[in-house]
Amino acid sequence: MRAAHLISFAMFALVFAAPARAADTVDPSAEFKAFRDYFTQKFPNVPLNDFVNGPYSMDADLRKQWEAIDDFPPYDFAVDRGKEMFATAFKNGKTYGDCFDNKGIGVRQNYPYFDTNSGEVITLELALNRCREANGEVAYSYVKDEMASLTAYMAFTSRGKPFDIKIPNDPRALAAYQNGEKYFYTRRGQLNFSCASCHVQNPGNHIRTEVLAPALGILAAMPIYRSEWGGMGTISRRFVTCNSQVRGVPLQPQDEDYRDVEYYLSYMSNGLPIAGPGARP
Amino acid sequence: MRVTVTCLLLVTVSLISATAAQTASTQADFDTAFAAAQAAEKEAGALKNQWLPTEQALSAAKKAAAGGDFDTAIDQAKQAEALARASIAQAKEQDTAWKAGIIR
Amino acid sequence: MSGQQLAFDRSKGNCLTCHEIKGGDAPGNVAPALPDMKSRFPDRKELTAVIYDETKRNPLTVMPPFGRNLILTDEEIGAVVDFLYTR
Repeated sequence: MRAAHLISFAMFALVFAAPARAADTVDPSAEFKAFRDYFTQKFPNVPLNDFVNGPYSMDADLRKQWEAIDDFPPYDFAVDRGKEMFATAFKNGKTYGDCFDNKGIGVRQNYPYFDTNSGEVITLELALNRCREANGEVAYSYVKDEMASLTAYMAFTSRGKPFDIKIPNDPRALAAYQNGEKYFYTRRGQLNFSCASCHVQNPGNHIRTEVLAPALGILAAMPIYRSEWGGMGTISRRFVTCNSQVRGVPLQPQDEDYRDVEYYLSYMSNGLPIAGPGARP
Repeated sequence: MRVTVTCLLLVTVSLISATAAQTASTQADFDTAFAAAQAAEKEAGALKNQWLPTEQALSAAKKAAAGGDFDTAIDQAKQAEALARASIAQAKEQDTAWKAGIIR
Repeated sequence: MSGQQLAFDRSKGNCLTCHEIKGGDAPGNVAPALPDMKSRFPDRKELTAVIYDETKRNPLTVMPPFGRNLILTDEEIGAVVDFLYTR
């Protein structure tokens, strides 16, 4: 009689045990939670929304220096320039606003998005250049000042709005998310670093004198005025520079992998407020 | 007289050949080494994982060859190929190994 | 270059980026400080292996594989080890 009970129990356990997770099943919302929990548990004294301030959320001395310059933010000129560019029509009479929802005001937190028509990730920088080209204008460099000014202005109009990145129910969108995740964790360059090496394994630590930012919220303050660069830098510029710093040959700005990793990181920052444009050491 | 001239000719030709065999690397040697390095770097490019030092070694190789310093040029080309192969190995290993770092 | 120069130079070992080492300025703190190396790594082969490719011992390490990725030559690694044994 006992043996029969044991066998029944074993069969019951087999039927109701959690099925083994298929190797390639990915659950972005579960990963989102794990990602957020990792950082909030690692830094219990950092308020959730403060992660968007990158190294300043990690280092009190650095924060004081930052607050000291905040009365005259170094990115102000870029915001003004971007506003002026938005107000200036293309040769054909259209404006940037005509390419975006709500005339491009207060929409930055929705980027990147997955375009189910074209089957690709559309970042804000890409959308701006496509807007230009659709209206007979030449595309801007993704790493120079015009693009930085445009995105600085758009970020500024979205200050405080929470990231709202969607992954539509489309296997291509999920594939883009996964590709971005893969890019983020893949070691590259002669120095063998992944993005995670610095921004997941070592946030708050410093390399020489530079404090490393946490990956959570890391794009929320873009574009940034970097004192080290003596100027503004777009998301494209930052990705290219990071690749070079690990001695990897950078991809072309807005390469599919760059757009996918921006998609992944932005989704992971859902709910955190846009803080751009930002200032960094 | 005929035999002497033939011998002399033979000796001269042998000397010239021997000298050629001992000569330092040639353009042809460089071309072979450089082509191998370029092919490897192209493979790394297809994997989207080229390294900056590889590109630097390729440039240095080209520059040395242009200046006729084939020894240096071949040295740099071989270094470039080694770097390219290391970057290929990294990309292939990381294609699966990347998952080790995922936050769970 | 001397072992110390190799260790401190940004284009070579660049060790100070992550490690505090006696004699170096403005070190990072990503990795442990490196005092008492002779007593901590009595086996030279072990220390050499860490510099050559620490991923073999710790797959998630952020230490670059100086040997495997051809960042330093075997001689240069030897010189760095010699230098570290003086710290």
